[in-house]
Amino acid sequence: MKILLLLAWRQLVRQRLQSALTLLGIALGVAVVVAVDLANESSSRALERTLDALTGTATHHIVGPPRGFDEALYLRLRLQGVRASAPVVEGFIRIGGETWRLLGIDPLAESRFRPQVESTDEGALRRLMVEPGSVLAPPRGARHADAEGRMVAEAGGRTEVLRLAGTYRSNAGIDDLLLADIATAQTLLDRVGRLDRIDLQLSASQVEEVAAMLPPGLHVEEAEARRGHTEQLARAFQINLRAMSLLALLVGAFLVYNTVAFGVIRHRELLGTLRAVGATPHQVVMLVMGQALLMGTLGTVLGVLGGLVLGDVLLALVTRTINDLYFVLSVREVTVAPGSLLLGGGMGVAVTLLAAGIPAREAARVAPLTVQRRSHLERRTGRGALIGAVVGAPLILIGLLLPQLAERSLLAGFVALGLIMIGAGALVPLLVAGIGAIGSRVVRGVLGRRAVRGLSAGLSRSGIAVAALAIAVSATVGVTVMVDSFRVSVADWLEAILVGDVYVAPPGTVSSRVDGTLDPSVVERFRALPGVAAVRGTRRVEVMAESGPVSLLAVEAVSHTRDRFTLLAGEPESAWQAFRAGEAVFASEPLAFHRRIEPGDRIELMTDRGMREFPVAAIYRDYGSEAGVVAMGMSIYRQLWDDPDHSSLVLYAAPGVPTDTLLANARAAAAELSQTLEVRSNEAIRSVSLAIFDRTFTVTRVLRLLTVLVAAVGIFGALSAMQIERAREHALLRSLGVTPGGLFLLVGLETALLGLVAGLVAIPLGVVTAEVLIDVINRRAFGWSMDLVVPPAVPLEALTLAVGSALAAGIYPAWRMARTPPALALREE
Amino acid sequence: MTAMQGRKRVGARWCLPGFLLALAVLAGCGAPEPPSDSGVNVAEALGQAEAEGFARATDPRRFRFPADHGPHPAFRNEWWYLTGNLEGTGGRRFGFQVTFFRIGLSAEPVESPSAWAANAVWMAHFALTDAHGKRFHAFERFARDAVGLAGAQAEPLAVWLEEWRLTGTEDGLPWRLEMAEEGIGLNLSLEPQKPPVLQGDAGLSQKSAEPGNASYYYSIPRLAARGTVTSNGETIPVTGLAWLDREWSTSALGPDQVGWDWFALQFDDGSDLMLYRLRRRDGATDPHSAGSFITPEGGKRALAAGDFELEPVEMWESPRGGRYPVAWRLRLPALGLELVIRPLLRDQELELTVRYWEGAVDVHGTRGGRPVQGRGYVELTGYAE
Amino acid sequence: MTSDPRLHISGLTRRFPDAPHPVLDRLDFAVNGGEIVAVLGRSGSGKSTLFNLIAGIDAADAGSVSVGGTDLTRLSERDRTLFRRRRIGFVYQFFNLIPTLTVEENAALPLELNGDRSRGEVRRLLAAVGLADRADDFPDRLSGGEQQRVAIARALVHHPDLILADEPTGNLDAESGERAIQLLTDLTRERGASLLIATHSLAVSRLADRVLTLEAGRLTERTGALAW
Repeated sequence: MKILLLLAWRQLVRQRLQSALTLLGIALGVAVVVAVDLANESSSRALERTLDALTGTATHHIVGPPRGFDEALYLRLRLQGVRASAPVVEGFIRIGGETWRLLGIDPLAESRFRPQVESTDEGALRRLMVEPGSVLAPPRGARHADAEGRMVAEAGGRTEVLRLAGTYRSNAGIDDLLLADIATAQTLLDRVGRLDRIDLQLSASQVEEVAAMLPPGLHVEEAEARRGHTEQLARAFQINLRAMSLLALLVGAFLVYNTVAFGVIRHRELLGTLRAVGATPHQVVMLVMGQALLMGTLGTVLGVLGGLVLGDVLLALVTRTINDLYFVLSVREVTVAPGSLLLGGGMGVAVTLLAAGIPAREAARVAPLTVQRRSHLERRTGRGALIGAVVGAPLILIGLLLPQLAERSLLAGFVALGLIMIGAGALVPLLVAGIGAIGSRVVRGVLGRRAVRGLSAGLSRSGIAVAALAIAVSATVGVTVMVDSFRVSVADWLEAILVGDVYVAPPGTVSSRVDGTLDPSVVERFRALPGVAAVRGTRRVEVMAESGPVSLLAVEAVSHTRDRFTLLAGEPESAWQAFRAGEAVFASEPLAFHRRIEPGDRIELMTDRGMREFPVAAIYRDYGSEAGVVAMGMSIYRQLWDDPDHSSLVLYAAPGVPTDTLLANARAAAAELSQTLEVRSNEAIRSVSLAIFDRTFTVTRVLRLLTVLVAAVGIFGALSAMQIERAREHALLRSLGVTPGGLFLLVGLETALLGLVAGLVAIPLGVVTAEVLIDVINRRAFGWSMDLVVPPAVPLEALTLAVGSALAAGIYPAWRMARTPPALALREE
Repeated sequence: MTAMQGRKRVGARWCLPGFLLALAVLAGCGAPEPPSDSGVNVAEALGQAEAEGFARATDPRRFRFPADHGPHPAFRNEWWYLTGNLEGTGGRRFGFQVTFFRIGLSAEPVESPSAWAANAVWMAHFALTDAHGKRFHAFERFARDAVGLAGAQAEPLAVWLEEWRLTGTEDGLPWRLEMAEEGIGLNLSLEPQKPPVLQGDAGLSQKSAEPGNASYYYSIPRLAARGTVTSNGETIPVTGLAWLDREWSTSALGPDQVGWDWFALQFDDGSDLMLYRLRRRDGATDPHSAGSFITPEGGKRALAAGDFELEPVEMWESPRGGRYPVAWRLRLPALGLELVIRPLLRDQELELTVRYWEGAVDVHGTRGGRPVQGRGYVELTGYAE
Repeated sequence: MTSDPRLHISGLTRRFPDAPHPVLDRLDFAVNGGEIVAVLGRSGSGKSTLFNLIAGIDAADAGSVSVGGTDLTRLSERDRTLFRRRRIGFVYQFFNLIPTLTVEENAALPLELNGDRSRGEVRRLLAAVGLADRADDFPDRLSGGEQQRVAIARALVHHPDLILADEPTGNLDAESGERAIQLLTDLTRERGASLLIATHSLAVSRLADRVLTLEAGRLTERTGALAW
């Protein structure tokens, strides 16, 4: 056995390039899986930590209307013995270009609520209370302070100078909160006299008691439920990432299999010799598996290390998206989750062993002499191609049917996607064989025939390589088509909703939400502006529905309003009538999907007058919030909520007034106000929105690129293995008079052919993938519907990508072949 | 006297040196004490405001009542301190202690549009000794001097922290003391039986040699208490005698003073005794220890450190650490008093932000050879470990 | 004909880096048009090296190889390849057929490489080697002798001036070998080509016009009756 071990090692060393490629293939596959998982895990944990910090040990919260409620309630609760209570004012400010969550608390009431945060700065709390504008920051926030401890911050459109009272440290890893005394927070966040919520620790029996003390419009909410809503939002996004990582896992696994299986196939002759000189089948298997285990372990270790680095990059992208869309969150480092490492590592080793195991068993089973006969192997593989097709076709069928069976299950969508991909992969070898068979009839030249037949003859090599490339390219096509379709739908939607000419709003601290307010006097000012035909105010707030918080959009029904809503369900005429009359509301598509609302249903909302029921007249398209929005007329909102403010204003230009003139007028008017306002044209809003959309998909794009990269490396390994195997044939061609350039072309052509086949498979598979992503995954994760748009360039792009990556992978082996003196290859047998 | 001992295990009612207010929001760092029942840990300093800007007790002043029953916000620290022995039907004995502390954070008002802005915080302690049930309860609260959560005013008198409160009627007297938490309650009317006694030098009580290290200090040594005690869901009518101590200052304690033993005793012959012994690091009695003897008519005789001898006769080992001398022999040769002081319960230790012993006691002995007895309160600080 | 040797070799030297002596040491010899020359030598004597040098698929350390008056050592790699494609035919010990091409396609390969798609000569030659009925089979269905006959057809199909056969019978049984070599020599003579054949078989060498012996890097020529 010692000789066998030596042999195993020497082979790996002698075939350095092949070994390195195998390692790279395994490592890349593992790295992508590990990185995506780490990024997902780290962002989840950061979200959890932040939610922990916000919730603390509270069991319930008293929450109320959008702009908070009268602070006097707190004293009433305290005097009535609800002592496990703490007032909170919460909002966002910007410091040094970064958005921070500011938590305004009463330190004296906090004791039992947020034990994870501590400060060791002497007197920090005294300063917090007696120095207005002072905050406690985590160490990384403290660096924004100057020598005197001052920090310039933007809050609600105003610039404020904050004072650093001290730093806090958190044993729970919280570092994205600023803590301030409630007096400071009320001032900074424009909440004087009001609280955003009261944290409570209540036993089950106390809940009713406390609820009974509340004025209308306020209610007691379970902390867990509130947390759940936030987590749910981010989860949909993370699930999408998970889908990408599963795709990467699939492609990675295919490629690891591919690379390792090649290595074993290439050693068949050696294995045959070993068998011939008396090695037992068991010994042969052990040799192959030992080699594979060594490579698998090494590659996996490299992959896990690479995954840690890559994870860092992905995490930054993931965090940015979460911030853009869901929740202000800062995650600065990858939390090394053992689970992620195990997942990637396990995948690497398991797939390696599986990939080596099948050919090893085969090699060990067959008689020593036949092992050396390649045609035998190819016949077996030909049978394998048939088996693959027999397995693959039903898998695809099940994949297509599954989403229909499990109607709302997101998991079923993913499983379906996986089944379709694996099924298509299993079909590829037969397809390749078929193309080979047809090609050999159609192609006239002998060399051309050789290339075409080489495809199917070398099925054991080309089949898996083509399948892997096809899957990688189809994943790319699928994601591209999905993102493009999405973007087209979003652009159409923006076109529909941006009917005004100029938009006025306080600067948002989180791009996805407007949390500033415009008071009525500001509105009057813009109404009086020259060149304004009409001003429509909108109010966007968060209110409680029976099933958790929901965004409420109140719009003034001027003549243009109607265009704003693209109704997807409901009878348009009567729906509009009811909406204008304030008799009904509209539900956005995600809301309707998540809460199973249909036109004619009723939705209960907590108003300042208590719970009220609203009939839903129609469902409208909205990509602005995946949690869902209830839209209603402004008049009914003002009746039921004591909130005279606006969130934003839409100005319509008078006939003949150019938008630019109106924009300039509006900016001039805004400049005179004490509050900073953003005045933008509809064009600017459109481009900003699309920029955010594109940013959201950066991480998707990076993953897509990685998937292709992984595939290209696998193809490279496969091709160089194939070409090295065919060295003898190529040497013969050289000796028969094929020039080096001719041989280079020939090999290039063969490679391109592989890519072409992969590309042809990838186009329909990619479109199906996109369809599943759009109609199943996105629909179920976010509740959005969109039209499938296959850009005309996509088929060409897919072919270019497939052929290009195959060619890129084939260039080196071709060059090497062309350069090798034929004498060398011919002499050996 | 009351005990505020923090990190340095040193403190005094009149100066709160190194007063470390534990705030759990920032708690956790090396917190040696277990959380009290209000969930507050001793760990982190609220930090003491600079004395600068606050008024100091340097010269005797004119006391005016009822105005001086109200707050003196120009000084950094102030408290209203009530202790008393009560008796229910069938001779069931209770002791109570209620303290409202005002702690100034800043001499200047805080400029803010928010009603929550406060330049002072309040801490209150409430302890009840149930001698019959052999139970001792202690509670603590904090609140800021804002939005009505806590505060004080002179006329009519009101000192409150949430629903814990000491209030006067429109006409002034009697006062009403209302305390309740977790099924333990106290609801008393308090009627002074003697005029206020100005302690020290006409109310200026010097605590160390350093000028300004002094407080304004007066007591009402005898208040008739009548009302109810609630314990274990049972509300019992009670009567008895209470003692009020009032002090305000902007002081700091000398570094070698480690604690004190404070006694407030009411005798059945109508006379009362207050004295405190400041203990030095080496165990010796600080020369600034002092006291006063008040005759049944309200006349005061000042006592100096050399006028009394104190000798522990029984030590009690706290399960939370530390040994307290809970019974004493007290000799005041100048008054012909020889007394033995024994606690109603041994464990009357308050395990709060600051841990100290404050409990109801019985007194037996002789005055000029004739038997005398009484009740009172003793406070022991600087013993906890 | 003597004035225009088909193959002329002079001072041909080839060393391998690790070997103490050159494999080929200043060889000089010529092969005339229509002449069949056998090169005898033990395994490892350098026969294959000599053939590779003549074919231009290995480079000499010194000396020249000229075929039909063209000095191959002075041509570029590309020109040498094009020259080889037109003027030289090969038969190998291990047949070296391309497994993915049929018998006919294998045989037609040199013609196609020269841009000639006609199949008449291919079929004629296949008939001549007795494999007309196997034209559409793939090589792995043929016996060794049959495969070698396909290789012979392939070597002759483009009418080369010179045919190089490296141990053509080395992998065949005696009978198949004899049949193959007979076909090779017959067809060569029929077409007036020259044949250089490496062998260690006396039977083969008997069919040659001349026999050269390669030993210790040097060639010796034997004429007339063979002593061994």
